[in-house]
Amino acid sequence: MFPWVYEFHWTAFHITFLTIFFLIFAAVVATVILAVRRTQRAEQLHTMESIQWHSDFEDLSPTARICRHELSGNVQHRMCDQGFDCRSCLVHPLLVAKQTKTPMLQFEVHGFTMPPHRLYHRGHMWVQQENDGTYKVGIDDFGTRIIGKPYSVELPPVGSRLSVNGKGMLVKRSDANIRILSPIDGEVIEHGDSEKGWYLKVKADNPENVMTHLLKGDEVPNWITREMDRLQISFATSGVGATLADGGELVSDFHRHYPKADWDGILGQMFLEA
Amino acid sequence: METSIGKKQKYGMVIDLDKCNGCGGCTVACAIENNVPPALEKMNKRNGITWLNISTVSNNEQFPKIESVFIPMFCQQCEKETPCMTVCPQNAVDVDPSTGIVGQVPQRCLGCRYCMTACPYHARYFNWWDPEWTEGMKQQLNPDVAPRMRGVVEKCNFCHGRLHTAKQKAAAQGSREINPADYVPACVESCPNKAITFGDLNDLTTNVSQLSKSENTFRFLSRLGTEPKVYYHSEKKWVRTMAEKSLTRSHQEGFNG
Amino acid sequence: MDKILIPRGLQRTSFWNFLLWIIPWIALLSLGIYAIYLCLAEGLFHTNMDNRFAFGIWIFLDLTVIALGAGAFFTGFLLYILHRKELKAVINSAVVIGLICYSGAILVLAVDVGQPMRAWFTFWHPNTHSMLTEVTFCLTCYLIVLLIEYVPIVLKNRQLRQIPKFLVFEFELHKLMPVLAGIGTFLSFFHQGSLGGLFGVLRGRPFAFREELGIWPSTFFLFVISAAAAGPSFIMLTTLLVEKITQKKLVKPEVYKFLGKVSGTMLIGYVLLKSIDTLIWINSTSPGNGFPAFEFYATQSFGSWILFTEIVILGLIPALILLSSRLRENRKLLFGAGFLVCSGIMLNRFVMTIQTLALPTLPFDDFLTYSPSWEEVATFLFVIAYGMLLYSFTFRYATLFPQERELSLLNGELSSQEFVESSKQKSSWQPKFILNLINKFASSKL
Repeated sequence: MFPWVYEFHWTAFHITFLTIFFLIFAAVVATVILAVRRTQRAEQLHTMESIQWHSDFEDLSPTARICRHELSGNVQHRMCDQGFDCRSCLVHPLLVAKQTKTPMLQFEVHGFTMPPHRLYHRGHMWVQQENDGTYKVGIDDFGTRIIGKPYSVELPPVGSRLSVNGKGMLVKRSDANIRILSPIDGEVIEHGDSEKGWYLKVKADNPENVMTHLLKGDEVPNWITREMDRLQISFATSGVGATLADGGELVSDFHRHYPKADWDGILGQMFLEA
Repeated sequence: METSIGKKQKYGMVIDLDKCNGCGGCTVACAIENNVPPALEKMNKRNGITWLNISTVSNNEQFPKIESVFIPMFCQQCEKETPCMTVCPQNAVDVDPSTGIVGQVPQRCLGCRYCMTACPYHARYFNWWDPEWTEGMKQQLNPDVAPRMRGVVEKCNFCHGRLHTAKQKAAAQGSREINPADYVPACVESCPNKAITFGDLNDLTTNVSQLSKSENTFRFLSRLGTEPKVYYHSEKKWVRTMAEKSLTRSHQEGFNG
Repeated sequence: MDKILIPRGLQRTSFWNFLLWIIPWIALLSLGIYAIYLCLAEGLFHTNMDNRFAFGIWIFLDLTVIALGAGAFFTGFLLYILHRKELKAVINSAVVIGLICYSGAILVLAVDVGQPMRAWFTFWHPNTHSMLTEVTFCLTCYLIVLLIEYVPIVLKNRQLRQIPKFLVFEFELHKLMPVLAGIGTFLSFFHQGSLGGLFGVLRGRPFAFREELGIWPSTFFLFVISAAAAGPSFIMLTTLLVEKITQKKLVKPEVYKFLGKVSGTMLIGYVLLKSIDTLIWINSTSPGNGFPAFEFYATQSFGSWILFTEIVILGLIPALILLSSRLRENRKLLFGAGFLVCSGIMLNRFVMTIQTLALPTLPFDDFLTYSPSWEEVATFLFVIAYGMLLYSFTFRYATLFPQERELSLLNGELSSQEFVESSKQKSSWQPKFILNLINKFASSKL
């Protein structure tokens, strides 16, 4: 068969057969090498966080992936395919142009405090512009209430970089760890603590384009309504027949009321982590 | 592939079934010549190793017309489209173009037994057990033939060891051609009735080539088109008809294997 | 106990229940390991195969599991090459089943051959004219492909995905999946075919032999098509089995119906071609070799009823059921037909291996019988136990069915509805419209 094997001789059949199979083998090896190379490149270009988010995003259930223009009533039905990053979406500017409704300002949504001067990220973080041109970032009321009392919160150190949909904070509870997505790109210049509250102060990379992808106006109440639905469904899935309204009043500490629920699964659902 | 110098031979055999009395001498001679290990107690007809196996076939008539014939069956050395050779995945079966002998290379054999399913003559044998010889028998092993290990296939190769010895002898005498008298397989040599004729089928002067063309000579399963080089001869018509018959009819008429 | 390894949001039975489930399989696995040890260490005399019946139950089962494992390549082909997105719901499961089938078959082959340590010889001095060489090359390459396809499923495990490199590698590898699916399809096409050709080339076995170029349509392509018909049906049946065992909804009904339709389409083509091949064989090939075809069916146990069962009862009937969209609606008929398809392919592989060897060739041969020894059966049970364990572990610690979470949310929505209605409490939000929404998603093609 091979030149160094006794009684070697080539025929057309050998050449075809071996060529095909060694090509296939080479193609399989090349595929794996390519994937390894791309992984290394992602590491060098620091795009790993965004790839991680895209991987999580692909695993989201369809109910969590609704486009903001469906929330605002701009379109009947649309699913997000951009990982909630409207900055790279081609359809978003078209739909914004179509928008006719005036934004409705509302301070309380189903009992949650959602101040209208703040903008909201789908991972339950708010962004607020400060007077000095920096941005303050924190977990919204809905998020705070479903997290309950964490035993530790890891904030990125001052000077570290944040990127949209990258890791913003890490919240640890006894029954679940949850990473919270960063709503903006920038550099952390200050952060809070358990007394001042868990917030980050961020110097944005590109101040003109900080808010494009964040929810605002009448998108927020509709979004919260759907999040309530998702939460209720998650409760039911984890075997707790819970209703979130307690005689019309919203439960303030979900954990104390439903300690037996699968909080790990529920928090994963609500904070968009697979 | 062309390793031989000189003219091409095509070794073959003609077995005169009328002369065979089923004594089994050839079977024993074959096993001793080729270092086939003795059968173990737990072996049976279907898993023991017998390069040369004799079957008895009866004409199934009532006394006094009843007759039976002994059929020695072994590798028929198929010349064309050798079924076992084409299927072997790792070239462990080769047909020597200079002799026409179908050889088995046990050192290369994987033991997949695909060649055994391919062989219509059931002439191939697998080493299901480790070969075992008693101390005394070990002294009698043939130094010219390598014993095979467990897990490989083996079969008749027209006593390849003897061909090799004959070639060495010819070379020592400075000749490129072997003396036909020096190369006679063990079964041929041992037959008391001289029922087996062996030689070069390409050489028209040999007995074997003349006998192979004689009127009452036939081959088993010649319809498959593999051109076996082992011929059978019988003057009895019922034997020849039996050999031509296919499965069911022969089965119904009660031939026993 | 092992909660940190279970995918987030999926409900899995307790660790102790899982342990109870795997212990019997581990016991069976151990028995198989003992039988394999006997065959490898002492010799193949532990089997009931012999010089006349040189291929036994192992080869039959190898051919069968490889045909049933064809779901991996065919689903991959439909999903990544033809972009049938609905199959995303079962692709992971199909890959695991393919991996189990192929690695199991190769493992049994390694026990079956007399000198497994010499298997590399095939790559060193291959006889390129042998179908078995092609099978060996393709099986080896395809097993590597299946292992690579299995890697992303494992890397998506909850703990492994915490390592950014793993998750990114998984993501990048997944993007290249169409390449692997293409290669897998090519390889499967050839080795499924060659497994059929394995018997078609046997000149010495007129029952299986097909002449010259006839080897290709009669054995090669028939095996490819029948495997492509059996694969989707087998995925359908295994998924149903997992649903029954775990008492969960794992895929939407549409996926089952689509798999059934694919299976039925391939099967009707197969039945047609098989009938043509059989007619040609009866009227020309077999008598040409001096063996009138009816003689092969003269023995009682292998009568022509086998041919009828194979082509009509286990071929035509399930094909017609699966092709009718009205009959596919009926779950019992759908899965029943899937079962018939798989049985039909098993019977076909049985006929090709066991019946071919049982039939005599020489005029004074006997019809042979063979029954496997316990070691042969145990070795096969080893493959089943190994498959059950690999599947169970993958099901528990990785996401095999992407729709599972969504479907459990759907169930959750229904139960929360009931709860709200029964408690008659007025909630300040209306969950009703999201129910409609979920229903819309459930019915739409993703």
